[in-house]
Amino acid sequence: MRTNTYRLRISDIIFITSRQVALFVTKGLIVSGQFGDILVREKQGKALELGELLIADTAQGKMLLQVFDLVYGSQLAQQQLELLSGLKLEENVGLQFFDEAMRNYILARIKNLASITNNQCKAAKTLPQCFSEIRDVTAADVAFLSSKGNNPLFVGKLRSGSKVIDVPIYLDGSKALSHHVLIAGTTGRGKSVLMHTLLWHTLAEEYCGMLVLDPHDEYYGRNNPGLKDHPDARDKAVYYTPRSPPTGARTLKINLSHLVPAHFRGVLEWSDPQRQALYAYYQRYEQRWVESALRGEPVDGNFKEDTLGVVKRQLSQLLGVSIQGTTITCHGIFDVQAGQSTVEDIIKALEESKTVIIDTSEFSGPQEILIGSIIANEVLERRRKGIVNVKTAPVISIVLEEAPRVLGKDILERGPNVFATIAREGRKFKVGLTAITQLPSLIPRDILANMNTKIILGVELKPERQAIIESAAQDLSDDERTIASLDKGEAIITSNFLPFATPVRIPPFEETVKAFSRPARSFSGIQP
Amino acid sequence: MKFAHLADVHLGGWREPRLRELNTQSFCAAIERCITEKVDFVLIAGDLFNTSLPSMDALKIGVQKLKQLQDNNIPVYLIPGSHDFSPSGKTMIDVLESAGLAVNVARGEVVGEKLKLKFTVDKKTGCKITGLFGKKGGLEKHYYYELIKEHLEAESGPKIFMFHSPIAELKPEELAGMDAMPISLLPAGFDYYAGGHVHVVQHEKLKDYPNVVYPGPVFPNNFAELEKLECGTFVIWDNGAVRHEKINLKPVAKILIDAHNKTAGEADALLEEAVDKAQLKDAIVLVRVEGTLRQGKPHDIDFNAMQQSCLNKGAFVVLKNTSKLESKEFEEIKVSRASVEDIEEALLKEHAGQLKLMPADKEIQLAKELMRVLSAEKDEGERIADFEKRISSDVDRLLGLSRTDGS
Repeated sequence: MRTNTYRLRISDIIFITSRQVALFVTKGLIVSGQFGDILVREKQGKALELGELLIADTAQGKMLLQVFDLVYGSQLAQQQLELLSGLKLEENVGLQFFDEAMRNYILARIKNLASITNNQCKAAKTLPQCFSEIRDVTAADVAFLSSKGNNPLFVGKLRSGSKVIDVPIYLDGSKALSHHVLIAGTTGRGKSVLMHTLLWHTLAEEYCGMLVLDPHDEYYGRNNPGLKDHPDARDKAVYYTPRSPPTGARTLKINLSHLVPAHFRGVLEWSDPQRQALYAYYQRYEQRWVESALRGEPVDGNFKEDTLGVVKRQLSQLLGVSIQGTTITCHGIFDVQAGQSTVEDIIKALEESKTVIIDTSEFSGPQEILIGSIIANEVLERRRKGIVNVKTAPVISIVLEEAPRVLGKDILERGPNVFATIAREGRKFKVGLTAITQLPSLIPRDILANMNTKIILGVELKPERQAIIESAAQDLSDDERTIASLDKGEAIITSNFLPFATPVRIPPFEETVKAFSRPARSFSGIQP
Repeated sequence: MKFAHLADVHLGGWREPRLRELNTQSFCAAIERCITEKVDFVLIAGDLFNTSLPSMDALKIGVQKLKQLQDNNIPVYLIPGSHDFSPSGKTMIDVLESAGLAVNVARGEVVGEKLKLKFTVDKKTGCKITGLFGKKGGLEKHYYYELIKEHLEAESGPKIFMFHSPIAELKPEELAGMDAMPISLLPAGFDYYAGGHVHVVQHEKLKDYPNVVYPGPVFPNNFAELEKLECGTFVIWDNGAVRHEKINLKPVAKILIDAHNKTAGEADALLEEAVDKAQLKDAIVLVRVEGTLRQGKPHDIDFNAMQQSCLNKGAFVVLKNTSKLESKEFEEIKVSRASVEDIEEALLKEHAGQLKLMPADKEIQLAKELMRVLSAEKDEGERIADFEKRISSDVDRLLGLSRTDGS
């Protein structure tokens, strides 16, 4: 059969049932190779892409394949090709290949991702037949991926190269979040949009509570689209800010009496005597210990005056308080009077599956870490001590921007902090981290390996790609080029909770917001 | 300008008749003092009545006192509170307003999908007053989110905003578990924020919210409140000065027995000794026994004898609280909560999510509303058939059901 524009062969048509006919376009033919590195000759004009998903129909079902490299192929020897190009360049000879499509072509290197039988996906263990035709993947081929399950965590739509397939990809959110998520990507590749999307879709879910330390004050959406626009935001999003709060936001104040020395681990560099002084104050004055240290009240333990002076100064700077005589004046979020129920309120909201966003844009790094540390410690301790029943409780994920600030090798060399503890043993208590970074190589290998879901956006630096590839849940050793070539919004997800490293496209956040509508409100009871 | 600020009167509250009477007396005393103090007007920030359809006695005293204020040329501005609304949104406050005894300041209009509140101006002082009522389960929160605030904030003073909701930034530690809304939902820049609902005595100055005041209940509403507050309170604003006024009617005598690791007999003896020593003449006696008994059960302690001893010593009324008293013999029964509402809340939370018909928090809310509606009592003069119909229609409304068979 011939048409002017398109030649369709009988082999292009696969009969699915007697009534349905699906048209599949052949994109290439398997010519050689080995398991994990199959060579396919691209059909002229079909322009296979790095990362593109393909299907080889087999006698048992289907084989899902993915392009990981593209090379040129030719029927002519290299020397002849070089000679011919010289003629064209130097002699300006009007040169045309006879039957060019047959002689010069593109070869794609593809790998087996999975075999699919009756909409069930299994690890691939066989090769498709040599000379099998390969074709585009369709939504029907990968319907098994769009199962929502009980705890859906939407991460984007399936992507084949740069094309989006209308298959939403969900992880088991409860498992994925408690086993930690790493989001890695160079600036501008979509980390923020991805995080907005994850938070948007988890907001109404009952299986998780999210704590977001937001150094750019972007997720609530004070001035831009954000979680405040979600139909359930009033009930499920709790926003704390130290700046003038927009309608519905809370002013962040934390009472000094809620601090314990453990909160300061990894926040500032403390010498051993200084650390001991913190504990000595705590032992003697209990809830009043910070005030006592700030006022320089006597403490047991023969500490040098210098040591107590440094402790006082460090605490004063970190907590944003000043002391005149015995009067403490609070300038920041830490307060002697106010904020008595803040920590309790935040923990309660998280345990009620809400999303708590803390605007940390005006805090110094150590202050931000201290606040995160207070809440993370409290969440973990309550679950450790059995105050919260872990079995029925939601998973709580703590979102950390620029994660190496708390999980970096150099930081952890100074001493462990609660975030490293959560990374290593939080999953037992359903407390996880969602760590965002452009420099994953700064995070120790064992912690990276503990992050069982990695969402990889475009990463330009080779050492960073290597750090991710080496700790990925699936073998990505052939995907370095693909990772380097990811455009904004394109990602690869490797996870223990997905059958294979899955390419996805994260939709623009504005589209996500538009897709949700707010219910109309009534105002009964108001007198005219 | 001088005004009084009352909230949480709960007329008709308390099952114990003597305390119900004391509650009424406390309200009367507060009104008397408003008249003596010659205030320009009185604010009642919600929950004038304990139920949306109050008893004849409660209604009578409420009307008498509002009339007395009116006779003294003291207008009353109020908002309905969460206890004042029936599930169908009806409130006795409307009746009082129709009779010209008070002005409900929660008035305004819907503009697009937003709510635009109007000011009510006090003729005598020129003070502009507006506010929003409280609803069960904090449902008024949605009204605040849709509130147009610009014109309220731009209005020149003096102005007062009345509200009947807990404010997150003001919550004391003991109320940490209570759902509350952020202060940012309220329009900024008013001279005075007259709060209700949270039974605490509080006056806070926050940025852009210079005087946020909870006057406390006009009479404590339960054992724990009597223990903490001892008496009712209200506020008098006297040209910028906020004064919490106590209404002392009866002394409160508190007897606390630590029964931890004691036998029931030993606890009994301690209790007897404490009663013997205490000054109980005309007092509200609060007896709290707590701890885990080493041997015996809570009901082995002879509370009846204790009560009689107290009354013999001239006590006005005796209340006991054993919510924190446990027995090792029955460790599976854990009662660690203070009030009935807390225990209900704890149990609902424990069992929520089993239906899978709706999110757990909505399920808890619905269960609470159902419990409240189904525990309503027949009103005086109400026919049984009407009572049943009322309950049935309230339940239908809650469940979003409509009946087509006319039943």
